[in-house]
Order: sequence, then structure tokens, then C-alpha cells
Amino acid sequence: MPPKKPSLYSLDKTHVAFAASGFILLVGLVWMVLQDSSREWKGWQRKYMAMMQERAQTELKETQAKINAEELKKLQAELAEAKSTVVQHRAEIQKAQNELDQITNRFNKVKTEYQNLKQFQDSDRYFYEEYADHHEDEKARVYDKRLKDREGELAQAKLKFEQITAEKEAKEAEIKTWTGREQEVSKKITAMEMDVTLAEGKISKFTPSLAKEILNAPMLDFIHPSLQIQQIVVEKLQDDYYFAKAQKVDRCITCHLGIDQKGLENAPQPFRTHPNLDLFLGSNSPHKLEEIGCTTCHGGSGQSVSFTTAAHTPHSSEQAKEWAKKYDWKALEFWADKMLPLNHVEASCAKCHTGTVDVPQAPKLNEGRRLVTEYGCTGCHKVEGMDRWKVGPSLAHVQSKLDGDWIVRWLQNPKEFRHSTRMPRIFNLSNASDPESLDKNNAAISGVAAYLMKNSDPVTLTAPVGKGHAENGKTLVETIGCLGCHTVGGQSANHHGPELSGLGSKVKPEWLYSWLKDPKHYNPNTRMPSLRLSDQEASDITAYLLADHNEKFESDRPPYVKPEVVADMAVSFLTGTMRHEDALKKLNAMSPEEQLEFVGSKVIAHQGCFGCHEIKGFEDAKPIGTELTYEGTKDLSRFDFGFVEIPRTRQAWIFQKLKDPRAYDRGKVKPYFEKLKMPHFEFSDEQADAITTFVLSLQKSSIPLEMQKVLDSREKETEAGRLLVEKMNCQGCHTVDGVEGRVRSIIEDAGNAPPILDGEGKKVRERWLYHFLKGPTPIRPWLKYRMPTFGFSDQETHSLVTYFNHLSNVHERYVEDETPVTTPEHVKQGGPLFTQLQCIKCHQAHPDAALSSSFLAPNLEMAKDRLRPDWILEWLKDPQVVMPGTMMPGFFPDGASPLPDILNGDATEQIRAIRDYLMVFNPDEKPAAAAAGAKDRKNTAT
Amino acid sequence: MMHAFTEAINSFSSPVAIFSTAFALFALFVTFPKFMTSGPVASAFGLLVVAFFAVGMQNPHFREMVVKPDNVPIIGLIFIFGFFTWYAMRKAVINDDLIEQGKPTIEKTESEEKVMVFPYLIYIEFVVALVYAAVLVFWSILIKAPLEDPANPALSPNPSKAPWYFLGLQEMLVYFDPWLAGVLFPTFIILGLCAIPYIDNNPKTSGYYSFKQRRWGIIAFLGGFWLLWILLVLMGTFLRGPNWNFFGPFEEWNAHKLVPLVNVNLSEFFYVKWLGMGLPHNLFIRELPGFAALAFYYGVLPVLLQKTLLKNLHERLGAPRYAILIILALTMLALPVKMYLRWAFNLKYLIAIPEVFFNI
Repeated sequence: MPPKKPSLYSLDKTHVAFAASGFILLVGLVWMVLQDSSREWKGWQRKYMAMMQERAQTELKETQAKINAEELKKLQAELAEAKSTVVQHRAEIQKAQNELDQITNRFNKVKTEYQNLKQFQDSDRYFYEEYADHHEDEKARVYDKRLKDREGELAQAKLKFEQITAEKEAKEAEIKTWTGREQEVSKKITAMEMDVTLAEGKISKFTPSLAKEILNAPMLDFIHPSLQIQQIVVEKLQDDYYFAKAQKVDRCITCHLGIDQKGLENAPQPFRTHPNLDLFLGSNSPHKLEEIGCTTCHGGSGQSVSFTTAAHTPHSSEQAKEWAKKYDWKALEFWADKMLPLNHVEASCAKCHTGTVDVPQAPKLNEGRRLVTEYGCTGCHKVEGMDRWKVGPSLAHVQSKLDGDWIVRWLQNPKEFRHSTRMPRIFNLSNASDPESLDKNNAAISGVAAYLMKNSDPVTLTAPVGKGHAENGKTLVETIGCLGCHTVGGQSANHHGPELSGLGSKVKPEWLYSWLKDPKHYNPNTRMPSLRLSDQEASDITAYLLADHNEKFESDRPPYVKPEVVADMAVSFLTGTMRHEDALKKLNAMSPEEQLEFVGSKVIAHQGCFGCHEIKGFEDAKPIGTELTYEGTKDLSRFDFGFVEIPRTRQAWIFQKLKDPRAYDRGKVKPYFEKLKMPHFEFSDEQADAITTFVLSLQKSSIPLEMQKVLDSREKETEAGRLLVEKMNCQGCHTVDGVEGRVRSIIEDAGNAPPILDGEGKKVRERWLYHFLKGPTPIRPWLKYRMPTFGFSDQETHSLVTYFNHLSNVHERYVEDETPVTTPEHVKQGGPLFTQLQCIKCHQAHPDAALSSSFLAPNLEMAKDRLRPDWILEWLKDPQVVMPGTMMPGFFPDGASPLPDILNGDATEQIRAIRDYLMVFNPDEKPAAAAAGAKDRKNTAT
Repeated sequence: MMHAFTEAINSFSSPVAIFSTAFALFALFVTFPKFMTSGPVASAFGLLVVAFFAVGMQNPHFREMVVKPDNVPIIGLIFIFGFFTWYAMRKAVINDDLIEQGKPTIEKTESEEKVMVFPYLIYIEFVVALVYAAVLVFWSILIKAPLEDPANPALSPNPSKAPWYFLGLQEMLVYFDPWLAGVLFPTFIILGLCAIPYIDNNPKTSGYYSFKQRRWGIIAFLGGFWLLWILLVLMGTFLRGPNWNFFGPFEEWNAHKLVPLVNVNLSEFFYVKWLGMGLPHNLFIRELPGFAALAFYYGVLPVLLQKTLLKNLHERLGAPRYAILIILALTMLALPVKMYLRWAFNLKYLIAIPEVFFNI
């Protein structure tokens, strides 16, 4: 038997331990429940309710103030009066009411009887039909008999029901004669106070109460809580969790409660309304909230409901600090798909909008894409679906244009010669500016120059004819269209082509003259068009452009190149493929010039110069840069941040790379040819930011095809034309496709500006346009600006014609090329109309120099070949509709003709007559008409 | 000061230094158990460990490692295992003294006194259950379960680590091929543990702690457990970083750290370095030195030991049990042996036949 009180075990101590541990466990459990129920989003929802309550109260006050107090008073007085009428007739009303009650009782009974009978009848009909269908005639007959027997009864019941209904209605009307007025007035008052009632309803909805608190309490909040997680289940989109795909569920609206509510535009975050509800989120917008969700565009973790775990991403380090302070934010370690910071959110547009030159309403993304095209990024970095042209000049004949010495000085730092050049700096950058690298840079540059001079074919150049007049040249440059692409002498509307500065320190007169006369002679692939300059004009422009020198640049001397460095570099290239000893043998077999040329060819291959320039020997070379097709979704661990202290995000990496391409070499020890080699473009912050947005938009799309914007064939053709328009810089001069002709900004008289091409597809015949684009002829001889000869290929010309058609919504093709049916009568009447309306006054074949450009119009002789006949009708009807702001007067205001004598004054017929006349018009045959017009001045049309 | 401390620890830290230090400490522990488990020494040792953590926590990298939710239980493991090892050894040492003096052991004295299961035992168990529940609740409140990204098959985390209890095996992979470290050794561990009662039929120390009466059994067990398992788990958890590179406790885990890999095979040592000739083409001849070493280790060594050091043991156990024991023991010893060979001579494999994926 064990002892009563064992010495090793004490029950008292165990009691204490039990009490203590039980208490601690209880505390733990309570803490657990409280912690579990206290959620960040609940706090936001409470704040939202408080805010909305406050707003509702303001609304209440406003609506109360809006009520017309006088009218209300009047109505209330009326109501009191009506009520007193009711009181006066209380006895009668009571009596009528009692009668009505009795009638209602009977009514209900009769109604039930009638409805029951109908039920039986319908049921029997069903059985009858079924049996009849199964040929069970015996049974069918029974039901048929029942149906027929009941018919009479049913008709009786219906009649009775109708009678009693009428009786009831009569009684009700009787009562209403006494009470109707009261009801009517109170209805009016209710209507007047409707807004107030609504506001009051809102207040009670957003006001906290004990009942709500209880329903929101931990453990009870499963019943009917007012604080609840809100979510959008996006039906057609899925989130990829690698081993499984799950339907997209976005809970962002748990806190962003006002995101699709109008009126919260100025509310504090997270309650603010999404900008542009007509474009995003709205039920009529193309991006409906329930169809697209939130994270599809913004990224982040849609299922998370706290600020940090939703993977919010700040757009700057200041914002990061502010968030950390305000929301206890920190960068999420374990969630790859972070939210895009707001300044890059347009990158997501490209998930669905691909294949277009521009994405509508995504200015930053478009700017980024434009910059990538302009700076030729795709020359080195392949981007699937983005095939662009080489942006730099061809170097296949460079020996006829430049001397090697110039190339050497230029490559040292292109910006020193011309600040606006797009040629990036390649050498002497941060990671290659130690003395040893500088020596190698000099050798490399000389090598490139040597290679280019040796490996380019000369072209025949013509010397300028006579002495050029620089003054004259300046006028020409500023007036015939050079400014449509180039910036010259401080006149800047375009920077499509290189700025024309310092040319005197760069090229020879023969080259420039030959180039201006025919750019394609020097480089068949150049985008530079011919302005069909006369010999004298070309000489003048040559003289003007060559007068500009860059003295600082001219005084620069090419640095000394150490032969041993050249040899050393050659060896280091050679040892890449052969043994050191063999390399030395090969090196010794080369002359110093050959060594230099060899180094040059290797440097070109290494730096990928051929990405932008055509270089002999590198026709089939592959681009040297990282492919960027999926850069926006490339895993973060594959970005080498080196020793650069920036946030570990894709956008920070890309931005830094663009701002200082060699930064990630900082602190690294690398052989010369293993250093980073992306050249320095000196992008501004805005440019780098826009390009970053674009690069982030290069993603592997996870959006199903039916959710994406898929281009139809018309849209594809339009986009092809749009790209060509961008490539050739049509908008440098012309207003078209929603962009104003850039050169217009520096032309004072709009009459001198290149024409506006909106509606061109509707206006001109396709055949004419095709031939015009191939070989332009003057349409407006007074215009100094010349439409250049671009030398478009058939394919390109066709593409442009199609583009203009699509822009003008012209669907029929080629039919307009047929001559329209003209009637002799119309042609005959057209003559006098043409004369009397004085068309020739502005539409002169040989423009009157006295007339201002704004009053001059194209020679109408061209009309029959150039214009679409239907367009002429539209145009004459009201020119302002077709081209707002045109100087062409409208002769037929409101469809009325100013000339009642011709064709009975019928405007439509007259317009037709003018059109038909134009179709046969030949100015040389009708000098009389012009003369007549000149005489008849006082008849000037309105 | 702090910097000097972390620098010193980092530069001292290497697998061989840590393993050798631990080995030395262990040797000290089993040679002078009475001294090592005495109050002042044990508490000094415990305090030293606590102080190391306290000071080390000043270092951001170390703190991050220690408070990482995954690692918290392993920090706990150090203290819990340390405490129980001390507790058992302490009792064993006291009992040894008592036995020497001819007195009954502690357990014997305690078991004189008997109490009812209820309320005494059940009640205490209930209280302990409550305490455990409370500990788990507080733990789950204070340290959130570490949830990471959805697993991405195209992107494995670096370092890729096994669950903590398998980190010992993963650490063995540094020195042995998977078929050995991942298959043969674990099998031997399980079989060996199962075999203990059949090999060691010593009836003493049942029901009480004693060191002297079972010295070699305890040394073998504690050595295997502490040095070849717990230590490897700790190293795998705290000192193995990206690319399974070794990092000091205060060294930033840099994924770009590069260490030279210059290990060579025994055949290369033998033919190329010592004999100055090329490797033979016949792979059996080529691997002959390795086979010979292995044959010596498992064939000759047991016999030599039987004749010399372990004569008594052999007599006591008889041939079959001796054979099983010696093979298990040698296999267990093979781990530190190979580790030291690697550290001392950069030995990669004793036998390397990559043609059939057979490397030892």
C-alpha cells in the first residue's frame, strides 16, 4: 500500500501547476481568438463606413436644404385640410369600410372557388391529352367528359368573380372620394422628401450599432456580419500556381470599397474611385470589373487582404518609406508576381493589346515603344513581333562620305560632336575608363574606323554645280520640307532625321551634293527621300549646310594608339579559338594595318554595331543583346544586380540599366571583353521610365485568346500602314490619324502648311493616290513644301493606300476608279455654274502671286483623275463638314442654291452638274469661263 | 569589438574546424564526465552557449537565421538535447560514485516509494498536456507558419534544403554519393539501432543511469547521435548557404560565392601523383588502390582488431555478433574518416567508376 503522503509527489503543488497552466492556456486561447478576428481589412471597412456615414450626413443636409420649404408648408396645410375632411366624414367612411370588408370576404371566397375550378380543369386537360396521345380512349373519354361537364360551372364562376370584383372596386372608389385627397397629398410630400429619406437610409446603413457589433464579434461573425471580405471571381481568367490553375479571385475590393462608385474621386485611399470609369471597371466600359478583375492589370496577390501581403509596390523610395510608416509595409519576400507600381501599370495593357503600333489611352507605354523604335533597341535585343529597321545610316559606302579620322573622333563621344544625336556612347564608359581600358578603347576605335574604311565600297560622287548661295540654301532648307524631318539652325519641329549641325566638320561638298540630289544613290535603303532638287538648289543647300562647323570637334586630335595594345587585343581575340602559340604566329603574319582591321572587325562583332548600321561583312550577323520578348516576366533571380544598391525589382533594374548601362559592373573584376557592353544613350528620367514601362510590358501572356484584343484583317492592314507612317515620319508634315503635322508648329500661315490628310481615303481615288505616292506631282503649286519622293516599294505603296482607305472607313475597293456616269445635260449646266460660282478664282492653274496662300486651291484639271466623284458631291454640299476650317466656301447653305436660274435652283442637281463638269473639265478649252468669272466679281458666292 | 568577434568566428568556421572542435569537446566530455557535468562547468558551458546567441543576435544575418520561423525549433533542439544529455550523464556519474561506495543508485532509492497512478501520475500528465497545449498556442500566435511562394518547377530555391531532420543526410551527400548517403547509410542506421539489443546483451544499467558500466555503448551512441547527426543537422541548417557552400554563422549568404573545387580521386593520387604515370585504361586496375583500401578496411581491419584491441570483445560476443558489430561500427566510422580524408587530402572518391555511377 502506498504511503498516504508520498514525499516525491505533492498534490498541492500539482494543483497550483494545474491552475497556472490552465489559466495560461485560457489566456492563450482568448488571445488566439482575438488575434484571429482582428484583421487589417476590418479596420478599413470601419473607416469606410465612418466616411460614408459622414458623407450621407452632408448629403442629408444638402437634400434637406434643397427642399422648397414654402411648397412643403403649403402641402402640409393641404394635408391637414384633407385630413379634417376625412374626420368630418368619419361615420360614412366607417360604414363604407365595413361594407367593403364584407365584400372583400365574399370576393376572396369567390376568387378561391374560381381559381380551384381552373386548377382542376387544367389538370384534367393534361390527363385527357396524355391518354389521347397514348390511344387509351376509354380513359380519355372519361376526362373529356369531366372537362365538358365543368365548362359551364367554370364560366359561371368566372362571371361571379368578375361581378364581385366590380362591386369591390366600386366600394373602394366610394371610400376614396373622401380619403383620396389625403393620399394624394401625402404621396406628393413623400416624393418631395425622397432624397432625404434615401440619405437617412444611407446613414442608418453606415451607422454602427450594438446589433451590428454583436454580429461582427468573433465566433458569431459567421451569421450575418456587416464586415465581410468582398471578392470578384473572374470567370474566364485563371491564376497559375505552376502545378494547378485556379480561377482568379480578387479581394482588392475588400478595402478598395469605393473603387467603382462615382462620387468618391477625392476620397482618401483606399476608398478612392478608379480613374476613368468609362474605360475601366464601369459596367459599360470595355474593361468591366467582374470580367477583368484587378490583379489582371495591376498584378499582386489578389487573394490577400492586407496591405503588405497583397504585394503593393511603391513607385519610389519616398513612397516606400511613407508606406512603411503608414501601413507597416515591407517588400514581400515570397510572392513573385508583385503589383506593378502605378507609374508602370500601363505595361499590363500589352497583355491583351498586342500587334498594334499604339495602344489607345496608354501614352507612357506608347512613348516607350516609340523610343525603343527610335533608338533602335531591337537592333541588338530581339523582341518577338517587333521587327524594325536599322536606325543608323548605312556604312556600306562610308569611305565616300567620311574619313577614318572623323570616325575615330566621333566614336570617342558622339554627343560631343552633336548633342542631339541618337548614336549612343560606346567607349570610355564607367566600367572601361581605367588607364588600361582607355588604351584598349583607343585601339578598338581605331580598329573600327580602319575596318570601316577598308570594308566599304566607294560610290561615284558629283561635285556641286557652280557656286552655291548659302543664303538661298537657308531659305530652301526652311521652306521646302527639310524641317519635316530634320532640325536645322534652331528651327526644330522634328527630330526624325539627324540634326543638321556641324556638317562642315563632317562631310565633303561632293558627298552632300550627291546625297541631296539622290539619297538612294549613296544608300538604296535610306529612309531619306528625294525632294527633287535642281542642281542649283542642291548646290545652295550644300553651301548652307557646310557653312556650319564644330570648331571644338575639329580641333580634337585622334588619340595615339599603342601598337602593342592592338597586338595584345588581336591575340586575346585569336586565343579565343586557337592556342596562344598559334595566335602569335598568326599575329606576326599580319601587318600592323591588318592587325588593326582585324581588331576592328572583332570589336564590331562584339559591340554589335551592325544592329543599327549596315556594315559589309556583317550582313547575316545575329543581334548581340539579350532577347527581351518575355523580359517583363523574367524571373527576378535572373537579373544580376551586381553591387548596385537599388530595390530588387525588375523596374528598378531596367531603369538603372537604361540610365547607366554599365553600372552593374561596378566593383567587379572582369577582362576587357567580358565587361558589360550596352552603350550609353543618355536617356532622360522620363525617357528611361517610359522605356521601362515598355520593357515590363513584354510578357508571356496568360490571358486566353478570347479575352485578348485580336486584330481583324482590316485592323492589321491599318497597323501595317501606321508603322510605315511612323517609319517615314509622314506626321512630320501631315496631320493624319489624330496627330497634327509637327511642322505646322513652326509655319505661320496655315495656307503654307502641308495638307491635312484626314479623310484622304474617302477623298482621292486609289489609283491616283498609288501613283502620287510613287512619284508625287505638285497639286498646290503655291506651296513651297514639297511632297518628297520616298521611293516606296509597290508593297509599301499599296499598304499606305489601304491604310488611308481604312482610316476613312472606305470599304469598297477599286470601284471608284471607274468614271462615274455623267449626263450631257449636267455637264452642260455645270459650265455656267462653274463660271458663276467663280471656282477658278481660287482653283487657278497658274496661281496668282498676289493671292495669299490661304486663298489658293488645287488646280481642278486634276480633279477627274484625283478625286472620288462621290466625295466631290459631299464636299460641295458643305466643305466645313468634310474638312472643318477649310477656306473653301460653302455655296449651298442648308441645301439651298444661290442660283435659282440653273436647273430650277435645285442644289443637289447643281452639285451633280458641277461634279459632272469637273469630270470633263479642261481649263485650256474654256478660257472664256475663267474670263467670265473674273469679270463677274460682284456675284461672289457666299 | 562586435566586428572582431564575428570576424574571428567566421574565419574560424569551416567544416573541419567545427567538426574537430566538437569531436574534442565530446572526447573531453566522455573522458572526464564527472568534471564536465559538475554544476559550475555545465552551467558555465550552458551560459557560454546562451551568451554566444545573445551576442550573435546583434549581427543582422545571424539574427535573421535564428528568428526565422523554420529555424526556431532547431535552436530549441540545441538546448533541449544539451539539457537531457547533461541530465542523464549527471545521474550516471552520481550513480557510478554510489555504486563504487556500495550504495543503492538514485533510481533504486526512488523506486522504493510507490504511489497510485491516479491521481498522481494522471494528474501530472494532464498538467503537462495543458502546458504543451499552451506552448503550442503561444508559439502559433507569436511565430507565424512560414508560407512561401507557390512551388515553381522552373525555379528551385537556392539553397534547396531538406526538412531539418534530414539535413544530416543532406550534409553526408557532400562526402558520399546518394546511393551511400541516401540509401545505404540510413538503412544501416535503422538496422543498427534495431540490432543494438541483440549485440549488446549486457544486463547492467537496466533501470538506472550509469556510465562506467556501459562506457563504450554510451560513447558509440552519443558520438553517433551528437557528432554524426545533430551536428550535421545544425551545420546544414545554419552554415550551409546558397549552392550548399559553407558560410560562417555571421557571414552574409551570397549566392555568388565561389570556392575552388579541387578534389581528386584516390586513383589519381596513386597513379598520377605517386607513380607519375597515366591512369590505366582498365577500370579495375585503375580503381585497384580503392578496392584494396576498402578490402583492408572491411576485410583485414576487423581481423587485426579481433587479434589485438578487441580480443575480449570478440570472445564475449562470439564470431557472428562480432562480425555484425564491427561492420556497423566501421561503416559508422567511415563517415568521419571520409570527411577527414576530404579535408586533409581533398580526396574525392576512394573508388570512382562514373561509368556505372559507382563511387565510394
